[in-house]
Amino acid sequence: MENKNQNEDPKEEKVSIASEPIKAEAKPKIAIVALTSCEGCQFALLDLGEKFLELVEKVEMIDWGMIEDEEDPGVDLDIAIVEGTPITEENVETLKKLRKRSKLLVVLGNCAAMGGIPEIKNYHEGKNTIKHVYRYIQGIENTEIKEVDNFVKVDFVFPGCPITAEEFLKYFPDLLEGRIPDRTDQPVCVECKAKGNRCLLLDNKPCFGPMIQGGCDAVCPTSKMMCQGCRGLRPKGNVKAMRATLKKMMTDEEFENVTEIFGLRDDISERESKM
Amino acid sequence: MEGHAGFMASVLKGDVKSAKLEIKEGIRLIEGILIGRHYKDVPIIVQRICGICPVVHNLTAIKALEKAMGVKISQETKDLRKLLEWGQIIHSHALHLFFLSLADLLDIDNDLKVVEKYPEETKMAIKIREFGMEIVKVIGGRVIHPLTNEVGGFKKVPTKDEIKKLIEQGNEALETAEKLGAFFAQFKFPDFERETEYVCLNSGDDYAIYEGDVASNKGLHIPVEKFENNFHELQKPNEVIKRVEVKNRNVYMVGAIARVNNNSKWLTPKAELYLESLNYSLPDYNPFHNVIYQMVEVIHSIEKSLITLGLLENMNLSGAITKDYKVKEGIGVAAVEAPRGTLYYHIDLDHNGYVKNANIITPTAQSLSHLEMDIALYLNDIMDLPEEKRTQKLRGFIRAYDPCISCAVH
Repeated sequence: MENKNQNEDPKEEKVSIASEPIKAEAKPKIAIVALTSCEGCQFALLDLGEKFLELVEKVEMIDWGMIEDEEDPGVDLDIAIVEGTPITEENVETLKKLRKRSKLLVVLGNCAAMGGIPEIKNYHEGKNTIKHVYRYIQGIENTEIKEVDNFVKVDFVFPGCPITAEEFLKYFPDLLEGRIPDRTDQPVCVECKAKGNRCLLLDNKPCFGPMIQGGCDAVCPTSKMMCQGCRGLRPKGNVKAMRATLKKMMTDEEFENVTEIFGLRDDISERESKM
Repeated sequence: MEGHAGFMASVLKGDVKSAKLEIKEGIRLIEGILIGRHYKDVPIIVQRICGICPVVHNLTAIKALEKAMGVKISQETKDLRKLLEWGQIIHSHALHLFFLSLADLLDIDNDLKVVEKYPEETKMAIKIREFGMEIVKVIGGRVIHPLTNEVGGFKKVPTKDEIKKLIEQGNEALETAEKLGAFFAQFKFPDFERETEYVCLNSGDDYAIYEGDVASNKGLHIPVEKFENNFHELQKPNEVIKRVEVKNRNVYMVGAIARVNNNSKWLTPKAELYLESLNYSLPDYNPFHNVIYQMVEVIHSIEKSLITLGLLENMNLSGAITKDYKVKEGIGVAAVEAPRGTLYYHIDLDHNGYVKNANIITPTAQSLSHLEMDIALYLNDIMDLPEEKRTQKLRGFIRAYDPCISCAVH
């Protein structure tokens, strides 16, 4: 190869120099894209500080709208990371385009995975909720809230409101190698006990910990805040037993209300209909 | 920039008169979904309006609910809440200053490249930001969407050990902030000026962030409760953002530049020294300077945090734990200084504590019209630049304002 290059004109040489970033191209191509959201999950990543910068060095960041203005060149991606709820048509289009060009599509957080707080409206006034907020409603996109997996296939979920950044660091290397990580079915209670917290339920205070997927380091009960289920039902989460335990601490109406905050209510109904 | 905002094509083509930001954010209808919900859900839901300033949404909602029900809080609770706010201002400003705005000052289009070019300063910015985040984590239980603060006080308070560690970290952060401040002081900001009205809280005895009246440099001085009588919130057809304008007056500006202009006499000594070192004369009507005034506020907020932490170190914080209170019918209006300006909440509760009505007015909703008016003027200055360069300059200008679209469209 070297000999051949020597015999060719300098223009050709330039071409071979220009294609040198083959090294960089060997890095997995990533995009982080926000639909409608508070962007807190992206900040959870950024808040990892130097740990996150180390991770960024291992990838080629193709698009990350929060911190760069460069145009997304539209190349194929190894992993698309999506945060937020698809609310506008543009959101949905972005999502579908991303799916087409990505080997893996993973979602960050409760909005993308479970509908998030915008989904509260589905349980009450639906589209009419807009009347409390806007005077001119014509021309404003006001859809029913649907999770990301209603539009595209989702390969992996980083749950939570916001995500647990340490959990991202734990599973992301697998994804970089093209593997879907295995998540242990473990309630919030395991980490809660390990932290030496006194169980809120023992004090007759409501907590959804037993039926909810752990991995959050039990951050809420550690602050004496009940688990409200932002990470979703765990595969073996026993809703019936949970309801029975909570009967003496909260009314059915209160239970339903709390499950609405993080879009858990529809998942519970679905689980119960299968029981 | 937080959230999604684009430009109207007309702006890029140089049609100055219709300089208008196109807001692409989807609507979450937060005020609408609050109606009929129990008041305890309110701070939990509203803080999720914004992933960068959840503390102030949570706090302002709690203050409004306390006013509505007549709940009194302890001095310790107030001190811990102010600390949360300073922590919030420190980490939000440090992020914006370094990771979002610096690229514009250097004419770089990707913040990750700034990180490569200035590794030492990056470490400084991260260190300062981490102090702000640690305050929120220790007191609030978590940085993004904190957990402990509630109507009446706190679910859990920090230990003395945790306070001591924060003080150590704060002392280092203060030194680092002075160094990073010197780094920022060397940048030349574009010349641009438009005389305007600066609005922020004024408590009469402090650099107000947690309480005070609404005051301006043009003679406005009203209690927070009168805000909605004096300011118009209006939605134009086809727009998802509601703009706020002062009745019978004009557009106005909020945020770090407004606070430093109006309340600089209450800055802490090191923040004051830094401000003097910049050699800007107040009143300062160059919106680009908002960035450097955020640096002034970072130094101020670290010093303020250290003073309060010093007091709390020797206090029994159990006084901040929530005590029983009565749920009552009522209307509560409250405001705090968020990193980007004054944030207002108006909440109307029924006798069972369910929300009858809610209104949230964010800083960006207040400064958006101001920004557009400035853009129209600034476009004249940069009209002769090639399109690509002009776009970059415009983005930089908008970013100096530090708009938060997630907040503005909620």
